[in-house]
This record gives sequence, C-alpha cells and structure tokens, in this order.
Amino acid sequence: MQIILSQLQRELPTAGLTQAQALERLPMLGFPIDGVATVEGETVLDVDVTANRPDVMSHRGLARDLAATLGAELAALPTTTLGGAPQREIRLETPACPTYSTAVLTLGATQATPADVQTFLRALGMTPKGLAAVDASNELLHRYGHPTHAFDADKLQGAIRVRFAQAGETLVTLDGVDRKLTPEDLIIADDSGPIAFAGVMGGESTKVTETTRTVLLESAWFDPKVVRPMARRHNLHTDGSHRFGRGADPVMAAVVRDLLAQRLIEWAGATVLSAWTVGAVPARAAAITLPLTQLNRIAGETVDAAEAETLLARLGCEVSRSATTVTAVPPTWRHDLTLPEDLAEEVLRLRGYDRIGSSLPAVDADPEPLSPSYRTAASLSRRLAHLGFFQTVTYGFIGPDEDAAFAAAGNPAEGRALGNPLGLEYSVMRASLLPSLKATALHNRRQGQKEVRLFEIAPAYPAGLEGKPSVALVWGGLRGGEDHLTASRAVLAADLRGVAQSLGFGSAPIQDLGDGLLGVEVALDTLAAPPERIIPRFQGFSRFPAVERDLSLVVDLGKPFGDLAAAMGGVLPQPELQHLGVVDVYRGKGMAPGKQALLVRFRFQHASRTLTSEEVEGWVQSALKAAEGVGATLRA
Amino acid sequence: MEPQLELLPPEILEAQSAFAERLSACADLDALLRMKGAYVGREGSHAARLMELLKTAPKEQKRDLGAAINALKNAWEEALKTRQAELEATKKAIPAEDATLPPPRPPEGALHPLQRLMDRLVEAFRPLGYHVEEGPEVETEEHNFDGLNIPADHPARGSSDTFYFSARPDLLLRTHTSPVQVRVLKRYGTKNAAGVSLLEEKGGLRFLAPGRVYRKDEIDPTHSPMFHQVEGMLVAKGIGMQHLKGTLAYAMKALFGPGADVRFRPSYFPFVEPGCEMDVRCPLCGGSGCRVCKGSGWVEILGAGLIHPKVLEHAGIDPTVWSGFAFGMGVERTAMMVSQSPDLRLFFENDQRFLAQMGGLD
Ligand SMILES: [Zn+2]
Repeated sequence: MQIILSQLQRELPTAGLTQAQALERLPMLGFPIDGVATVEGETVLDVDVTANRPDVMSHRGLARDLAATLGAELAALPTTTLGGAPQREIRLETPACPTYSTAVLTLGATQATPADVQTFLRALGMTPKGLAAVDASNELLHRYGHPTHAFDADKLQGAIRVRFAQAGETLVTLDGVDRKLTPEDLIIADDSGPIAFAGVMGGESTKVTETTRTVLLESAWFDPKVVRPMARRHNLHTDGSHRFGRGADPVMAAVVRDLLAQRLIEWAGATVLSAWTVGAVPARAAAITLPLTQLNRIAGETVDAAEAETLLARLGCEVSRSATTVTAVPPTWRHDLTLPEDLAEEVLRLRGYDRIGSSLPAVDADPEPLSPSYRTAASLSRRLAHLGFFQTVTYGFIGPDEDAAFAAAGNPAEGRALGNPLGLEYSVMRASLLPSLKATALHNRRQGQKEVRLFEIAPAYPAGLEGKPSVALVWGGLRGGEDHLTASRAVLAADLRGVAQSLGFGSAPIQDLGDGLLGVEVALDTLAAPPERIIPRFQGFSRFPAVERDLSLVVDLGKPFGDLAAAMGGVLPQPELQHLGVVDVYRGKGMAPGKQALLVRFRFQHASRTLTSEEVEGWVQSALKAAEGVGATLRA
Repeated sequence: MEPQLELLPPEILEAQSAFAERLSACADLDALLRMKGAYVGREGSHAARLMELLKTAPKEQKRDLGAAINALKNAWEEALKTRQAELEATKKAIPAEDATLPPPRPPEGALHPLQRLMDRLVEAFRPLGYHVEEGPEVETEEHNFDGLNIPADHPARGSSDTFYFSARPDLLLRTHTSPVQVRVLKRYGTKNAAGVSLLEEKGGLRFLAPGRVYRKDEIDPTHSPMFHQVEGMLVAKGIGMQHLKGTLAYAMKALFGPGADVRFRPSYFPFVEPGCEMDVRCPLCGGSGCRVCKGSGWVEILGAGLIHPKVLEHAGIDPTVWSGFAFGMGVERTAMMVSQSPDLRLFFENDQRFLAQMGGLD
C-alpha cells in the first residue's frame, strides 16, 4: 500500500512525526516498509499491511494506529451533514448490504480537480480523470479507506436494488469486460438489470462521463464474506474489493458520502438535491473480556491494567475494567478483534514488542529421541556425501512422460496428477526419484562434468498418493584418471552395486538409465535404522589366525558366480568360512573358447584355535568337488 | 670357527638349506615377521627347538653343539635383520619419490545447502529438548487449513495458490509445514482409555518439523513452486511471548553466531495470536542499510507467535490449561540471504559445482 508521508503527517497534526520516526515506528506496529520513493515531489512509503487489518488501508487508518501508540491526536474529520427526502427508491434485498448512504446532485457547468488532489492521486500512481466524482471517490478511498461509487443518475431506470444476481444475468464492468454473473454475486441493479458489482466495480452502462449532469452517489457497506469470493471469482482485484473484501467500517458510509458530496459542491459547482441513508449500521461487536492473569501470562510480566485500558481506549475500544479483567468493545473498524488473545496482542503491540522480556521456558518434560526414519535419512545422507555423492533437491512433480518410464503398471499417472499444475512438466507426483536425478545428471554432463555422482532423499509415489520416503543414487561417466596411479574407466554397474550393498540396499536392482548413467532406488523404511545405542553391544571375535586359500576355476562364460558360491558355500563349515569371493576374472588369451577363469578366494578362521593345514586343505578340496558338480574344472 | 653342522638334526638342516630362498621371497614386512617367528621366535621356532636339544645333549657334545647352534642362530638373525632393513627402506622410499605428485584422492561429495541449514537448526534446538516430527507432502484440507484456523474463504485455499489433485480433490500439496502441528497436537491431545492425553502424561511437547512445501508460484529468481520450511512448536503450561523471544534468540545465536542480533515485530498469521515476525540484523550491510534489507538494516527471517486457542481446541487441547508458541522459517530465503546467492533456481538446478561450493560436509 502506497502512503504519502506528508498526508500521513497531516492526519497527525500535533505528533511532529518525522520520516525517520515513521520508518522506525511503522514496522514495529506490524507494518513493514517495503520501500521509500519520491513521486511527484512527495515521499511515498510502500507499506506492507497484513490481510487482517483493512482498517489501516488508508492514510487516516494508518495514522490512527500511529496515534494510538504515540498517544497523539488525530486531525478532526471534516463534517458536513446533509439530508433530504429520498429521490429514488433503494431496496436492500439482502443482509449482505445492511446500510446504503446515497445522495443525488446536479453538477455545475464546469468541473476541475484541485491541483493538490491531482498530486495526491499521481503520487499514489493513479491518473486524475478530471471528473470530479471519480477523482474525489479515489481520493477519499485512499485518504479515509472507504470506497464509494457514483452513477450517472440520468442513465438509471427505476428503483435501485442491492441483491444477488440471477443465473444468466450479465454485466459489462467499467474495464469493458462482459461478465457472466452467478447467484453468489452481489450486485446493484435497476430496472434494466445489473449495473454494478457491489463494492468491487461499477458498470459501463451507468458510468459517469464528461456529459453527466446528475449523479447518484453510493457509499455503502458490503459483507466481506460475499465480496471477497466474488472478486476472486471474477479476478477483479480493485481498491474497493480489497477494502470491502476484508471488512470496511460501516459507520464511515454516511460520513464519506457527505465528504464526497462536499467535494462535488466545491470542485464541480454541484447542488445537492437530497442525501439519505437506507438501512442501518450493523450492531457493534460483542464485548471481549481479557483476564489480567491471561494478559500477564502472554506478556511474561505484570502489565499495568490502567496502561492496558488506556491503550485499548486509544484504539477506539469502549473499555471497562474490574480488579481482575479488562473488557473492551471493539470499534466499528476492527473486525479482527474477537478473542481475549486479540486484546492482549493489541496491548503488547502498542507498548512495543521490544518491551517484552526474553527467557527460555522451563519445560518439565523428558526430551524425546529422534525417530528412526529421521536418523536413517541423516546418517545415510552423510555416508553418501562422504562416499563422494552430491545431495540434490528436485521438485516432487515431473512430466507424465518422464514419470511413465519409471512407474509400475498398476500406478497410473492420473492417480498422481495435479488438477492445477504449473505446466505439464510439473504435473505428476513422481513414482520414482530416478527420472529427476537422471535429468540432473544430464544437466551436469552437459556442463562438462566427466563423472556425476548424485543422490536425493525425498518422498516418491510408487503406489498412488501415498508418499514413501526414498533414497535414489545416480552414478555415471568416467571415474579415475585424475592422478598417476588411478586409471580412468567408465563407471560400471558393479561400482554402484558395491555402494548399494555397503549401504544395506539389499537386492535393489541397479538400473541402466541410458546415457552411461546407472541408478538405484530404495524406500527408506527398508533400511535398518542406525542403532539407537551410542555404542553397540559387544560381540566376540576370533583372535586366532585366519587362513586364505585361492582356487582357480574354469567355468563357462555366462555361468553366474552365484551358482558356484552357493554350491561351494553349501559344503564348507560355518562359521569357519569367513569369506568366499572372487579376486580375478580372466577371459581371453589362453582360455578355451566359451570359457573363463575365476580366481576364487576362501578365508577360514576358527573361533577358538589355530586351524591345521590339513583341515583347510580338506575343505578346499570339498569346495572344488562341489564346484565341479556345477560344471567348473580346476584350471591347469 | 666353522660351525659343526653335522651335529644338527635333519629337519634343521632342511630349514637351513631353504633359508636363503625363503628370505628373498619375503616381499613385505608381514611375511618377514612371520619367517622371523618361525626361525628365531621365542616359542616353537627352529632356534627354540635347538635350545631344547642342547639341554638334553650328552655332556661331551654340549660345547661343540652349543657353538654350532649359536653360529646358526646368529647367522639367521643377522640375515633377517638385513632383509628387514631393506624392506623398511623400500617402504620409506615411496613418498620420497616425488611428494609433489598429485596423489589419488578419495572422492568428495556434499550435502545440499538446504539440508545443511535444516540440520543446523535441528542441531541448535536439540539441546533445548526438541525432537523432529515428519509429515506427508500430500495433505488434507483439515490439516493444512481447517486445523490452523484458516477460514474456509481464505484466498490461500484457492487453486491459484494451492496445488490440488485431479483424482482426489480432497487432497492437496501442503503449503507450509504447519499441518505437522495439527497432526502432532492431535496425537498429543487424544486421551487414552484412562482419560489421560500424551501431553498430560509427558508434561509438554517440543518439536521441529523440517520439510518440503508447495505453493503455486511461477519459477523465477525469487520464487519456486517447491521450497522448504522448518516448523517449530512448544506446548507447556504458562508459556508467554517472552519464551518465544528467548528461545528464538538462543537458536539464532546457535545458527548465526553469538553476535546474532534479532528483533520482533507484530504480524499476523491465522494460527497464532499474538503473532510476530522476527528480523535478524542484515548480514550484508551489518545494519547500515542496503539493497538486501531494503535500507532498513533488518531482514525478516521467520514468522511466529503464541499458538492460537482455536488450534489447540481443534486438537482437543484445553487452551485455558496449555499454551505454547510456534514458528516457521523459510529455508531457501535464509539460505539465499546467508549465501548471497543471486538466484533461487540455483538450489534446485543441482549443478555439482554449486553443490561442491555451497554444500560441503559436516
Ligand atoms: Zn542490509
């Protein structure tokens, strides 16, 4: 919201408010300053107002809050009291408009908006129209916060009705758009049909122009619960809808009608034919009682009850006080005050939050442990980073094509699709993290990375919208080759498998993602959480020497080592067999066609004694026999 | 004097004849130490056997046999010592080769900077007894809005602000981490068979909820449809604004260092009352005013307040007995401010150069 400093000062004639004070005070009242600019020679503040405070969305409204905290006087509101008999029937057909102040005036031969008002409007970024009714309405809205409207009275037909629209009715608004109305739209209508959106925007058919001779003014109060959805429905966010949509001050309806008429008299030589009000201002809000114990608990100290009373009264509340409570009836412009907590906040706000103390609460509750899922993710991400992987953060939604390649058959994208995505490429909650990592890996490859090592820990959606916290790794490109001892070579599935196995991913498959990229993904709940004990329970280990033996076996190409290992492991004693692995695979020269040689390594160890060479030799021979049983021969 | 080897038993002679070959076959210190044990070790070695033999030998042989054994033992020890020195020299020679050659280095990865910041916050709050709670990204309106006192006609609920699912219009992508508050409060507020709630049983509740959230913002240098928040909450008895201020000031010192300066301003969020925003002294200009802090010397870092009574009531917790505070911090906003990164999109592009520079490791 734009606020002209000099006009703010005008509303606080005795406060002597300087620019520096305004910049310091307003944020501490809850209204941060987003910028300061000079426009039309005026200092203009860009003030941030939260949605619950429509009452400060004007120069006077903001000044009123400043006056309350400073204990300063507000400038007197100019008063003009107009009256007269109704000139036209005005029917309020819904409680959404309880009060409607109006006036009918004939305009003089010439009209001119005063130079200072033109500057006021320009400083706020508006263009003066030279039409007194329009410029005055805009000025009053920004000065006093109450939106008004003027109709060309000669274009009105019959009675004016404030009612909800009927299905099928249309309205061409002042912006020239022909709008279809719904029964939820609150409108102003005459015998011709809808002529304005109540509190949001006027209609083209009855608008004031240079040739307008007679005007009918509208200064009403419309229910925010009706105006706000209406503005959203028609995407009509106007100064009027912002104020009525959040809650205007019903008492200001008649006041601003008078001020508007007064301006037309002064700027356009207008004559008031009559001014009257239909309906009544809604009853004031209920009294709120704030126990002093509650105020003191919230404030963290004993607040002087008299000070609380004074501050609430300065806000316009009707305040009374007992020995243990403060009771306040909120002013007509404060629709946000409904609870004792609201009153407590107002007291603290006007005193200044900087006056609140600062201390750590003493909570008599034992600390709770970190959850296994949190500890799993935390330790896994650290291990992966230490293993050389970079953690990525990517969006949870991707395009349906990228998703399809990784989604299970029973997990259609439609079940995971957003109804209102930013675009097709951000429309489906991903079944797997791998497509996102693949795209990230390809980006890095394009940026010249020879090797990409990435991981992400995030929810995946492998079955509908049930998010499953998961971890995925992608590794690809060329590894090594950066020093004289390590040769460069392509990253192989075995590399990623080794990492996956060391992290306890079990039998999760290594997936070939294409473009030299390999990936693996598992759900976090399939991983063992790091032990809760800081140090695990001790388990004994053998201090007797281990014995290693190698066996070179010739097998068919394509024969999985797993078959051999199962056969050999089955005949070897447990737990003496500590390890059974392959330390070399030889294919090529010297091998019979279709054959390969595996150098198998056994490691044996006994828990309580040194093994003899005879028993180890016997085991190796039995392993050899078992291997021969599945087609292996001893390499000569 | 030549040793009189013929006095020795045949297995010792065999060991002696293999000695030279086995010694040169020792490729490393481990092998050498094993061989040393076998030949001259205190127990079970060839030398130990010879000493046993000497004890039981006829008196007239003892002198010559003793001399032969000594000579043999000395020869073995000498040779072993020489070979050991050789092997040790080889070992030491490698680094002397050229210490300026780039050695093989283990690969270096990194945690994501957003993760590191969230971890640091958790770390800062752990000593105060906070644990971590998690919640799903796909949420209900009840958890994301209703339970947080956000009115049914609030603009944030609209499809221009919040992502909804086409097949399940009752579900949405959470727009903040605050639904975790609703979930946890309901869990703590539910009374068991004995009529006692978890909150009453434990006497209080303190947690952080870091996580991913979504809002329908177009992607640009300062907006992203997905970002992270860290939610914090404390519920106990007699909690006031001073506790919120004290806790956050403490945490900011843990996060930004002991010099961290903060201020609290009134603000509005439907799920707190009173509400506030906390600013930290601008890290770029130190308070004198710059582009980042829009000249004010302060940068907003989080929103907070005392838990709104309606939020407690929704979870079945009596607000006349229990009170507490809640706060929510935007992780990206803070990361951008601290790192002075020019573009939010860097955090989601995941360029390894950015991650290596920003992420690092703990
Ligand atoms: Zn600054």
